[in-house]
Amino acid sequence: MATIKFTSNLNRFYPALKPIEFNGKTINEALERANTQFPGIKEYIVDEQGVLRQHVNIFINNEMIQDRNNLGDPIEDLREIYIMQAISGG
Amino acid sequence: MTFQNKELQRYSRHLVLPEIGLEGQEKLKNAKVLVVGAGGLGAPVLLYLAAAGIGKIGIVDFDRVEESNLQRQVLFQTKDIGRLKATVSSEKIQALNPYIQTAVFNIPLSVENAADIFEGYDLVVDGTDNFPTRYLVNDACVLLNKVNIYGSIFRFEGQVSVFNYLRNDGSRGPNYRDIFPEPPPPGQVPNCAEGGVLGMLPGIIGSMQANEAIKVITGAGTPLDGKLFLFDALSMESMIVKIPIPKVRKTITKLEILDEYCMNPVENNFTDLITVSQYKNMKDQGIDHQLIDVRESWEHTLSNIGGLSIPQHQIFNSLENIKKDKDVIVYCRSGKRSGDIVTALRQKGFKNLYSLKGGILAWADEIDQTLTKY
Repeated sequence: MATIKFTSNLNRFYPALKPIEFNGKTINEALERANTQFPGIKEYIVDEQGVLRQHVNIFINNEMIQDRNNLGDPIEDLREIYIMQAISGG
Repeated sequence: MTFQNKELQRYSRHLVLPEIGLEGQEKLKNAKVLVVGAGGLGAPVLLYLAAAGIGKIGIVDFDRVEESNLQRQVLFQTKDIGRLKATVSSEKIQALNPYIQTAVFNIPLSVENAADIFEGYDLVVDGTDNFPTRYLVNDACVLLNKVNIYGSIFRFEGQVSVFNYLRNDGSRGPNYRDIFPEPPPPGQVPNCAEGGVLGMLPGIIGSMQANEAIKVITGAGTPLDGKLFLFDALSMESMIVKIPIPKVRKTITKLEILDEYCMNPVENNFTDLITVSQYKNMKDQGIDHQLIDVRESWEHTLSNIGGLSIPQHQIFNSLENIKKDKDVIVYCRSGKRSGDIVTALRQKGFKNLYSLKGGILAWADEIDQTLTKY
């Protein structure tokens, strides 16, 4: 079992957004899982081709994922996946 | 480098720290730091760098102090409203520490002037408030071999890092584009005027930037090179994620103009847009429609052009209140939030929705000058 966490910035569209448990092997599967619980959230994270959006990044246990194009980075048990995005305020 | 007795007294709490000491204080006095953006982040950065005795501080900001800045930009006072931020900042930090020099750039940072401005400084602190300038600061630092002390805030979240850090082996650490290769598409990420920002947040994040700057200059501790610090003020949770240099990375060869790319948030979704003059015409002709304000209720109270108030976070729970048998005009302050909502709802089948381009700011500029702008 791994955990998926989100930047609180996504709360503006998904006020009930909270960490979710996940059984799966890749980041791609994690996003599918998130999209089941929060319909449409995947569109904020990947583009029409399924490639990670340029202003979004994903970390597995604080390590940046390598495969932005296919989201095939493997996820092992007890890992924490963190989905975050660029912010511009100053 | 010699210090006057008064300076030695002033910096005595640093001088007794073995990690800084007289040698470190001399490095601070010899340092030239450029602070881009004298806003929420710039305020603590400038105050602490000045207090720490940075020898020369450059300040880039073309903006003037506004009422809505005073909730977080603690360098300014009510009497400063209307004055140039960089000028006011310079006066304030000179008053704090008369042993430092300041340089004021009351101009927007641009592709044309970035190299000239950056050239005279060892280190750049990014306290800007928009993506085009952030990418410009990042790219200029990479091209000119400057360390970039990065900080960014939005709502309750903050980020800090040290980009393009000069490592012991002579190589440079990762930069902003190694995390986010390109800026977000139009309308994807609102700014603080749209999404809000907690007043204390820039104080926290800006102070961390000042801390990283002092560490880089003196060599004390371990800077956030190859790491991104993330902070959430609501949960008080923080984390440091690792930023490797990607195998495939965006190569920076020249400065790019990005203003067109992400400063006009809803420009490219033109079929979803209605201009204020088009909407005025629609109203004047008595065309049946529904008007929805997706801003927060306090914003609706402060200033509105009528319509049903459904704050954006409630919109997906209020779909039954959105008419399907007539045109629905959605508005907000500037058109960003309404653009987001219209894009999202159109994907859910609401093809009769249009975002009011430029929001009530455009309405106030072009149609009704008595409308309150904020």
